Amino acid sequence: MQLEDVKKLANLARIDMDEVEMTEIAKDFDSILAYVSQVQEASKLIENVTQTEQRVLINVMREDVILNTPGEYTEKILKNAPKTEDGFLKVKQIL
Amino acid sequence: MNINLKELTISKAHESLKNREFSVRDLVDAYLDVIKEKNSDINAYLEVYNDIDDQVKIAEEMFKNGTVTLMTGIPIAIKDNMLCVGHIASASSKILGGYTATYDAGVIRQLKDQGVVILGRTNMDEFAMGSSTETSAYGNTKNPLDTSCVPGGSSGGSVSAVAMNAALVSLGSDTGGSIRQPASFTGLVGLKPTYGTVSRSGIISMASSLDQVGPIGKNVEDVEILFNSINGYDKLDSTCIPIENRKILNSPMTKRLGVPREFLSGEGIDKDVLENFEKSCEKLKKQGYEIIDVSLPLIKYSLAVYYILMPAEVSSNLARYDGIRYGLSVEADKLFDVYSKTRGRGFGKEVRRRLLLGTYILSYGYYDAYYNSAIKVRSAIKNELANIFLSVDAIITPTAPCLPFKFNEKTKDPIAMYMSDLFTVPANIAEIPAISIPSGLSEKGLPYGLHIMAPFLREDILFSIGKDFEK
Repeated sequence: MQLEDVKKLANLARIDMDEVEMTEIAKDFDSILAYVSQVQEASKLIENVTQTEQRVLINVMREDVILNTPGEYTEKILKNAPKTEDGFLKVKQIL
Repeated sequence: MNINLKELTISKAHESLKNREFSVRDLVDAYLDVIKEKNSDINAYLEVYNDIDDQVKIAEEMFKNGTVTLMTGIPIAIKDNMLCVGHIASASSKILGGYTATYDAGVIRQLKDQGVVILGRTNMDEFAMGSSTETSAYGNTKNPLDTSCVPGGSSGGSVSAVAMNAALVSLGSDTGGSIRQPASFTGLVGLKPTYGTVSRSGIISMASSLDQVGPIGKNVEDVEILFNSINGYDKLDSTCIPIENRKILNSPMTKRLGVPREFLSGEGIDKDVLENFEKSCEKLKKQGYEIIDVSLPLIKYSLAVYYILMPAEVSSNLARYDGIRYGLSVEADKLFDVYSKTRGRGFGKEVRRRLLLGTYILSYGYYDAYYNSAIKVRSAIKNELANIFLSVDAIITPTAPCLPFKFNEKTKDPIAMYMSDLFTVPANIAEIPAISIPSGLSEKGLPYGLHIMAPFLREDILFSIGKDFEK
């Protein structure tokens, strides 16, 4: 993997990193990806898997109704926010 | 009040509390004294809670009312990735350093209902990513059995708290071995329950399809009692299995255990670990177990599957830490830079590496080669194990391929560190329960562990074999 590839990934993942670390990551990725590539070889060995499901996956639904009084948690939650104004989260201009 | 904490079990403590030999206050104070004496050196706890007095009162009230369970008044430590309302939960990361929980995790609610006394939160690898607790943003935790060694990880603080008698039991979380490997490294018992038996609501997610909360203790019985107290359905966790779907065919045990021989002959497994394992097999034979070789040709791919699925899930789960709603926020002119600077400074090196790895695996062009292949192999491994359980009660291996190692011994080589989870990862991949039980000490006094995997929902088999092994 090249430094340019890592730069692109860091940009996609929204992580600011220096070049020294990105160069190191490029090197680590070569060995990690070589190791995990075994799954491609393994998946070729496997015929179509007929899953004997132990656990039935189900969608968990509930009625779309409000269960708490409006504003019940607002203060508690906003207390953790870095910047607020009039009960809203404050962010940098996006347009 | 002199309580022998080293020999104390939940049952003994419960009897003594019931018979008024000592009070919840006395018991809690005994543990707080140990914390005061040892924690500055070991660094098991990141914080001792400031509301312990109130918790003690609640527990003592329950003893007066006679509404107690076995867990009432029992002092416990919890991993720093479990939300306990009003307290900081940081997952040992700088990005959540000042985050105060706004609600209780499902397991915390259950503990509180039973009057358990939560002493505080324990150190861990950052966001549970690591096998030595060295990736924590809040310093290393030492192994109380040998302070020059790591306690394992990621639940390193939770095991050290119990190993140094600074909590009777503790809770950890296990995504690839994070309860069992550190339990093995500190001479304790650690259980990863069946996926979906214990609520994940309010647990700071790492890889949601693999994470499970579980108990750590000095013996199998304590671990069983704590497991029973947190086991249950929670409607706030959509992957939690409803009780009516947990009916299992309680087939009687055959006392036949399988050993996956070719899996044990792979690279990177210490010779003395294998020797200790053979001794464990002999011990089990004396207890009336038949040990047979089984063939599990796909199990060796578990770690590779894990290092695809886990970073993929991590990269999606940790997208929520953006410096906007909670946690660290770094000032910048543009919104994009707020995100990237916050995440760049807030996350540690190992977390950053896994986020990038997950981003790569899920990117267009690589998704099929990695993620979809891994999903397919995961299903096949699940099947392979389910089929083998038709002929054996459980599968046994060592817990870790090596003894507790020194600080910085494996931090430079990610693959060497990842190998720590070799034997523990298959249970997470297959969603089945697994336990680590102490199996003796090396010449230098470092502990080995025996790892047992049982079929889906069959924790009872693990407890039964575990108790026989302890004899």
